[in-house]
Amino acid sequence: MPGIGNDIVAMSAIDVERTNQYRFFSKIIVAQEQQLYNDRLASALAFEHFVWLAWSMKESAYKCLQRYQHNLVFSPSNVLIGEVQLPANNAKPPMEGIGFDDLLVCKSQLNFRGQHLFSRSIITAQYIVSVVNDTNDFSHTCWRVKKIGSNDTEDQSLAVRDMLLHKLHELYPADEFKIEKSIFGFPVLLKNGAEADFPVTFAHHDHYAGYAFIPDI
Amino acid sequence: MTREEILNELKSVFAPYTTNKEMLANINDQTDLITDLKINSANLVDIIIDAEAKYNIEIDYDSADKMINVGSCIDVISEKLNQK
Repeated sequence: MPGIGNDIVAMSAIDVERTNQYRFFSKIIVAQEQQLYNDRLASALAFEHFVWLAWSMKESAYKCLQRYQHNLVFSPSNVLIGEVQLPANNAKPPMEGIGFDDLLVCKSQLNFRGQHLFSRSIITAQYIVSVVNDTNDFSHTCWRVKKIGSNDTEDQSLAVRDMLLHKLHELYPADEFKIEKSIFGFPVLLKNGAEADFPVTFAHHDHYAGYAFIPDI
Repeated sequence: MTREEILNELKSVFAPYTTNKEMLANINDQTDLITDLKINSANLVDIIIDAEAKYNIEIDYDSADKMINVGSCIDVISEKLNQK
């Protein structure tokens, strides 16, 4: 089964002043990532966006890996961003799709203790969403991000599950799907009563929620 | 400080980041910050920074990684206070 993880950061819920304080951002990015920003990204990306882009990629990487390494602890300083390629086109990116338009997304490579991971991220003024996998093939990745009315955690959780089940019903109209939670905290998709052979990943923050998965069709 | 004193003070550290006030009032060592208190992971750094400020301590990367439930938060804060 392939690995996949996603994360969303709602920028309206971010304290920009705090993000720009060393004692805060140094808990998320390490010195070499600060250097990467200063050398190659500072002219095109606000620092607070870089910090939360880094967070979303690192959290996505953790979700990707934790499904198979159940005792893994999320450790932002141990997921290292090796490369960041910002979007070539500033057009408004879509909020859902199958695969990503390379011109509209940020492409990155990550390394966790020697294991290589790959990221596609969408950066807007409202949100940053990342999807990470372990293959660098995003062509069949089905993903979505949606603005929802409530910022209550339970409402967000229900909304993202409904959104995913609706999409699965579109793709597999003959099948019944159910989403459960593993004892280790990650979502488990049941297809006709048995665990589906593709993983799903959820994220929500403030008024934004999203999913990603790689359908087996 | 005793573990119980730190636990009670941690309630004010967690309060801005959780809507689960009933669970917050009854936290114990096993209470998970994300699954029980429903704190968004994006706020975990806020909690570490707030704890650093409240206790005038510095929480390094390795210690911060351990702060996933109330008991581990108390362990890290106690350890740092004892090192002062």
